Amino acid sequence: MEIVIILIIVAIVGYLIYQSLPNTKFEKAQNLFNAKDYVQSISVLNEIFEKHVDAPAKLAECKLNLGKQASAKPEKVNYFNEVVEIRRRISKSVSIAKFEIIESNALFEIAKIQYEETKGDIDKLNQNIKFIDTANKKGSESDFSSLKKKHFYDLADSYFKKATDKEKSDKLSEAIQSYNTGIDYAEKSDNKTVKNNSVTRIVICQLKHNDKIKLDDVSEIGNSDKSYQKELYYRYAIQLLKNKEYTEAEKVISSNLNFQSIDIDKLSEIIKAEKNNNAVKKIEEINTTIEQLQKKTLSTEKLKVSYDSLDKTINDVNFINKQVSEKISALKPTLFNRLLTHYIFAEQFGNAISIIQKYPKFWESPELLKNLGICCYGYTSKGLLTEQNYQTVISSWLTSVFSDRVILKSLDDTTWDDNYTFTLIEAIGSNYSQHEETPDNVNYDEISESNISIGATQKELLQQFETIIHKEIKDAKLSKLVNDFYDKEKEALEKVISVIENDIFFATPHFAKQNGFNNEIIEELDNDYHNYSNEEALEAGVPYIKNSNSTVVYQYFYANDLIDKVKSAINSENSIAIKNLNTKENKQWIEKFDSISELAEDKLFNSISNKISEDDENEKLISVMEECILFSSQNAKLKHQYSNYVANYCISKVNENKIDNFKALSLMKGAYLRSPNNPKIVKNFITLIRFNLMDILNDRTRKINEIYTILDWVKKNNMSQTYKQNSNELSTARQEILQQLKKAGADISLFDESSLSSLLSGHSLNSQGLKMKKVLTYLKELGNE
Amino acid sequence: MTNPYTILGVSQDADKSEIMKAQMLAMKKKEFPLQEIAIAAKQLLDPAKRLAADFMFPAKIKVKRIQPIQNTLTHQVIDVNALNENAFNSLK
Repeated sequence: MEIVIILIIVAIVGYLIYQSLPNTKFEKAQNLFNAKDYVQSISVLNEIFEKHVDAPAKLAECKLNLGKQASAKPEKVNYFNEVVEIRRRISKSVSIAKFEIIESNALFEIAKIQYEETKGDIDKLNQNIKFIDTANKKGSESDFSSLKKKHFYDLADSYFKKATDKEKSDKLSEAIQSYNTGIDYAEKSDNKTVKNNSVTRIVICQLKHNDKIKLDDVSEIGNSDKSYQKELYYRYAIQLLKNKEYTEAEKVISSNLNFQSIDIDKLSEIIKAEKNNNAVKKIEEINTTIEQLQKKTLSTEKLKVSYDSLDKTINDVNFINKQVSEKISALKPTLFNRLLTHYIFAEQFGNAISIIQKYPKFWESPELLKNLGICCYGYTSKGLLTEQNYQTVISSWLTSVFSDRVILKSLDDTTWDDNYTFTLIEAIGSNYSQHEETPDNVNYDEISESNISIGATQKELLQQFETIIHKEIKDAKLSKLVNDFYDKEKEALEKVISVIENDIFFATPHFAKQNGFNNEIIEELDNDYHNYSNEEALEAGVPYIKNSNSTVVYQYFYANDLIDKVKSAINSENSIAIKNLNTKENKQWIEKFDSISELAEDKLFNSISNKISEDDENEKLISVMEECILFSSQNAKLKHQYSNYVANYCISKVNENKIDNFKALSLMKGAYLRSPNNPKIVKNFITLIRFNLMDILNDRTRKINEIYTILDWVKKNNMSQTYKQNSNELSTARQEILQQLKKAGADISLFDESSLSSLLSGHSLNSQGLKMKKVLTYLKELGNE
Repeated sequence: MTNPYTILGVSQDADKSEIMKAQMLAMKKKEFPLQEIAIAAKQLLDPAKRLAADFMFPAKIKVKRIQPIQNTLTHQVIDVNALNENAFNSLK
């Protein structure tokens, strides 16, 4: 019994000791914390504050949660401040580390409450930012950062408000300062509204202040408040009008102030009045120019300036008064002629050519085309042709002289010719009886002493020009360029004139392409081809092609170009390029045109011949020739050329021991395949068959199987008539071998495949004998026995 | 090539006899080589060649007489200062 009592006492004492241990108490406090009994938990934690390392942090957490639970702000703040106060009681550094996380939470809660009380007040916001900046933020960095950004956002709003107040009081500099501060905070807090509006308001302030502004690259304005935008652009338009920048003001009004308003109408009226005044000024200037022209006091340069500005003036005046604008338009051709006359008589032919070419559709006017011819002649005779301009000058000259209308126009300017008549009968660039209206002194009658040939005049002009370009151009390179180009252009133009029946405007290829009517000429040539299947018409059209198109002329060019590409591949020994060109579609293009398909083989043949003449032992050429044979639908000549080339190559290389007999046989197989009845080819092929069989017999080759494969191919229906007539060389060789065997005492019946004795003798051949037997059998089968 | 009219010193309207006289005179004056004078005369006496010479060395280009434009437009007064700058005040 006593023992029991003692044990009970010991147990009670033990229990009491256990209960008083810090860990046990902390566990108790944790349980209370979990049950949200923070007050009791605080009480227990206070007992072990110094004894348990986690106690201070847990205590702070309890107070933090009490603060969060509290409804009144002062009470909340008290609890959070108590959390902060706990730091002073902590002595152990381990405890501080754990406590700091709770403390930063409490500080954040305090900052949040303080932020709610700022209500846009700039000072309070700044104060709280300072509080945030100095607070311990351990573990709550992101919360503090977000809260600080909210402060910036509010500051941006507040500064914008402050700025607008200043602006309303006309304190523009201060307003701009505040807008700029607002922009700084807006950029930190992504407050786009304040940023866009502030940028716009700053520009408005500058306009109010009469500062010169530039609106390039200010994207914020377009995203700002619409009423701000209206005010800005309206004020800007006024500023531009004040600075007499009317064109810019008009752009601003049409782009940004396109709504109905009396005030906007007033702006437009000012612009209209300015245009009116500008028109008045321009007309005065034009009248001054006319007066100076009449007095002959106007320089060519000033006339040019006046002429160049005419189109703009016509356009500007048209807006104010259509009738006056039309009057100015009517002046243009006259001013143009005056300027041209100035240039021609001052021998400024380059300037003259330049203004004629800028005149719309100048080639439709025989007068202008004639003047162009005059200028081109003058320009060339003065030695002004360069690599940059010769094409324009020459093509213009030829086009001008080849136009009979141009020559007819010349008759207008002379009086000495009153006793003569002129005939177009031999005129170049003229289609007999095509001209509906010819001058009274022009006819199509025979040439006589009094009926002068227009054609002779044209030829005289061409001859004079040719004399200049042949003799007067000192630079050899330029001379060649010019003369080659002249010949090419002239030849092309003559071809077109000879083919086209209709009375169209004929021009050289360069002239037609430069002035954009080359397709009209090509169309005429297409029609000619459709009507008469005349491929000459297509040939004539090729130089007039500028871009790929669907005309027959282009198809003809394309087909011809294919042949040129093959020729080029032959030249560069590129058999793969020829193989790639050898498509069904390409062949169809070539076959479409007789003149191309008929000459294709000859063209390729000649290209290959040229290559052979450069090097007649070029093995690469063999594959090139094989591809050409496949490419050309007519290929008899190419095959003959190929076979002879291969035969000559093989003979030469075998004789020089540069290729072995097997290689020669392989190459000659190709030649024999393409020319099976050419005696030279066949004979050489048969000789090579013999050489190769002898090589087998005498162990001089390792290509036994490959040789027999070729010989089997010959045996199998590939022996041509010519082959059969010439194959006794093989039979003779066989007989000679058999004779030698016989002399040596061998039983030659053993080598005869069909001999009965070879079957009955019971003797068998060794490997050498079997080899001999096979060679003899092939000699027999490939010979004419 | 020199202008045959310049070599012979005749106008572009000269008739055959004037050209022949001019040739004789030019040969006396010897301002140009005899060969050039002969070529110039030959050119102007051959109508087809003369037409070519007229093309290459034009005497004149006919130009119309230009009349001044009657200006029906009058100058208008522009007063930018009369505009109401505050018409679109957005901070009212």
